[in-house]
Amino acid sequence: MIARLYQKFSTIIAAVTLLAFITSSAGAVDLNALVYPQLNQIAIPEVEEIKLENGMRLYLLEDKTLPLIQASVRIHGGSYLDPADKIGLAEFCGDLLRTGGTEKYSSDELDELLESIGGSAETSMDIIAGSLKLSMLSSYNELAMEVMAEILQRPVFEQAKFEQLMISARASVSRRNDRPDGIGDREFEKVIYGSSSVYARHTEYATLNAISRDDLKAFHQRVFRPENVQMAIWGDIDSKKIVELVKKHFGAWEKGKEALPDFPKVDYQFDTRTAYVDLPEVSQSNIYIGHLGGRLTDEDHPHRIVMNNILGVGFGSRLFKQVRSKAGLAYSVYGVFTANISYPGTFYNYVSTKSESTAKAIRMIIDEIRRIQNEEPTAEELKLGRDRYLNTFVFNFDSKGKIIERLVYYDFFGLPKDFLNKQMEMVKTTTAADVTAAAKKYLKPDSLRILVVGSQKSLDEPLSALKNGEPQAIDVTIPE
Amino acid sequence: MRQLKVTITKILTIMILLLPFAAGASTDFDFSALEKSIFEHSLENGLKIIVLPRHDAPVVSLVTWVDVGAADDPKEYSGMAHMFEHMAFKGTVTIGSRDPENEAGLMRDEDRVFERLRSERLKGRLADPKKIAALTEEMEKAVSKAYAAVEPNAFSNILQSEGGSGLNAFTSRDQTAYIISMPSNKLELWMAMESERFLKPLLREMYREREVVAEERRMTTENRPMGKLVEEFISTAFKAHPYGVPLIGHMSDIQNYSREAAQRFFNKYYMPSNMTIALVGDVKPETVVAMAEKYWGRIQKRPAPPRIATVEPVQQGERRVLIKDKAQPAMIIGWQIPAETHDDMPALAAFVDILGQGRTSRLYRRMIRDEKVAVSISTGAGWPGSKYPSLAVAFCYPAPGKTNAECEKMIYEEIEKLQKELLGAEDIEKVKARAMASFIRGLNDNMGLAQQLATYQQIWGSWRQLFRELERINKVTPEDVQRVARQYFTAENRTVACLETIIEQAAADKAAAKEETKQ
Repeated sequence: MIARLYQKFSTIIAAVTLLAFITSSAGAVDLNALVYPQLNQIAIPEVEEIKLENGMRLYLLEDKTLPLIQASVRIHGGSYLDPADKIGLAEFCGDLLRTGGTEKYSSDELDELLESIGGSAETSMDIIAGSLKLSMLSSYNELAMEVMAEILQRPVFEQAKFEQLMISARASVSRRNDRPDGIGDREFEKVIYGSSSVYARHTEYATLNAISRDDLKAFHQRVFRPENVQMAIWGDIDSKKIVELVKKHFGAWEKGKEALPDFPKVDYQFDTRTAYVDLPEVSQSNIYIGHLGGRLTDEDHPHRIVMNNILGVGFGSRLFKQVRSKAGLAYSVYGVFTANISYPGTFYNYVSTKSESTAKAIRMIIDEIRRIQNEEPTAEELKLGRDRYLNTFVFNFDSKGKIIERLVYYDFFGLPKDFLNKQMEMVKTTTAADVTAAAKKYLKPDSLRILVVGSQKSLDEPLSALKNGEPQAIDVTIPE
Repeated sequence: MRQLKVTITKILTIMILLLPFAAGASTDFDFSALEKSIFEHSLENGLKIIVLPRHDAPVVSLVTWVDVGAADDPKEYSGMAHMFEHMAFKGTVTIGSRDPENEAGLMRDEDRVFERLRSERLKGRLADPKKIAALTEEMEKAVSKAYAAVEPNAFSNILQSEGGSGLNAFTSRDQTAYIISMPSNKLELWMAMESERFLKPLLREMYREREVVAEERRMTTENRPMGKLVEEFISTAFKAHPYGVPLIGHMSDIQNYSREAAQRFFNKYYMPSNMTIALVGDVKPETVVAMAEKYWGRIQKRPAPPRIATVEPVQQGERRVLIKDKAQPAMIIGWQIPAETHDDMPALAAFVDILGQGRTSRLYRRMIRDEKVAVSISTGAGWPGSKYPSLAVAFCYPAPGKTNAECEKMIYEEIEKLQKELLGAEDIEKVKARAMASFIRGLNDNMGLAQQLATYQQIWGSWRQLFRELERINKVTPEDVQRVARQYFTAENRTVACLETIIEQAAADKAAAKEETKQ
């Protein structure tokens, strides 16, 4: 009985595999064949957008499912503004907004207040933007608005908290070489963007020591201005009441006097480079291969999405198949051409493999980069590459937070609201030839930069054998 | 297992004192309505099905939860639960084969060569190196030949190209979980494929996958200082119970896994009565049950697996382990505590919360805020597992220039205070308020909720316990917390693992020179 059912089932699966999207082809599918019902409509809620007179932008979405108020604030500005001798300034500011106390609440009071109600508010600042994320029971909506106003407009950067953060920042510097992949992630950014680039540089003891509380106050004064702020609030809220509260708490916030400078351009020459960090005691190499990437707004980016899925993203990709499944050389292997809006992303291939198969894995990856330029994807690969994007498209809309935060991001960069839908439409029509054309246009297997973090004496071949430029050692000794 | 505690909202005294906003702070959210909307069903073969319909978006999160974990690994096969999790993605006779007729034969060839290689290797010093070299080469050939019959990653490819998102699996000491979210109209595809791989998995690519797992071990354990420290800590803390065995397996065990051993493991633990499927999202319970009957119903009923009889004996004295590394210092301290279902667990959860969770905790305030001896401190209860008696733990990174020893002393001092002084009611109320808020936040996430339901089903035998945790934590009193602090957090009941930094000679010389110039 079991066996018979099993046999029958096998047919179904074969049919699914072959006909996943051609279920209409009559005859091939018996009564047990899978015919997927129509996907229920995605109800994309309308987000209410309001601009205050001082330039602050507000986005609201009511959702009564759970008794929560949630907020996500994006602040234009980031570590790209840090002076070269004070790297870490923006990051400090991002942290101390929440942890350094405000005019009304000392840091202790704010911690006590939030933790006693199970609320959370956290702030941070990265290269191009700052962020405040808040979540509370919706019965505290007034408190939520007040806390955000205090944090964003009236932080005091308490001396004791500044000192505490300084210790923690120094500890991060002292611990930054503790993990080989941590070294690689950090150094490869510098290999691509340049070690003094705002997109790759990092703190040192010296740059931390140069930061003062006055610097923080000045940075806050300069950056935290209503015209740089986009505030998204959603959940169990009454929009009208929230608008009132926002006006009350943020209406009097004064505009800044200067617009922030543009994101710096990336100066990049395509060339071959091989760099290494020698860690004699490790048994596995962390390997990075790539070059400068692109922008989200490049017109053929959707073709690159399909290319990424075929080349190096996910279980079905060529890199996964060749390096992990077929050769058993790695647990972790992937390759992706990334695209930002503010500055170019990276074409980034990563693998970690035992020292003795380092060169082998590198060659395998480079071969795959060449192959995607020269060998059109098979119909099956193309289908997988497209369908993985198209069929997971619905997950772009499965939470209110995702919907509203994407809108904020698009709005900042002036992208049309239907940007994602247009991208999807273009993925849908991407052909094998489009993938090859994108690979030829954007991938440069003859101009790769390679970084190997591993035990140089244990490699299967010296890195010079790759003939990808004279291997250069990177000294990761931490400057005092 | 993620800790999740629930409490009914009360307006807390502390909040009234602190906040003008507290009035009306209670939430009238009706948990019982949510509980009532959950549907459960068991198939005749014992498979448990839990469904929470939610139609906000046309997606569904799907979890297959198997009551087997690394603690069940057979002797000499440490890491086998995790290895099998990898193998469960290799497909079935039909999914993943280019050559179903010959594949079985090619796999048998691999097995035969490997058995010879393995027995030669296990002769140790008496092994013949030439024979090993020849067999290794033969093995390589057999593996390549078998691979030619494989359609790699077919199983994952089908699910992903049909919209599967977050396809993954994980193994813990207590369980193995297979997870994915799908557009809800693809429910039947998941039902068909997920049941198929546990009806009759085909363990193809076994010998290559061992290499992949070996790389995973190198990445997560051997080349990460914290990975090494954790492994040493756990194996020191448990001397009898299998929680002490490395989850990913010893390297020598990984390299000697055979296909037959993996198959035996499957036969022993992967029967429907040992599995739960949990579905949260845009699905109807009646459809789910009908499909489950049709697809999962094909799997035959088999007797339940044996359970672990070994109980960790009462610890007779403090255990310590020290590893030296170039990395900066770190420390883990653990105390033996009971299993999740024990009556002391809510009080223990409250204790570790007050001791070391969040910015208002005792350890954060003393060690990070005030005395600045640490840059990170956190505590938890129920690690590395919670099904069997386990540990309460503290993880600590000392601040630059400070030592593990200084931190350790302060941790004990803060514990001692909680053993001597009775907590105020407001401390306990804070724990409850936080637990409730985090419970509500957890409801936001289909995948998280599906895993919670499955976890409670496994650990307690009923998913409903998720909603009973509320009463459990609400009963905790300051006296309870003090009692568990005294009972469990003693010197003879603890294990301490420290990573101390190797000072390299050049750096030491430099430091000495600096010291001299100062004088």
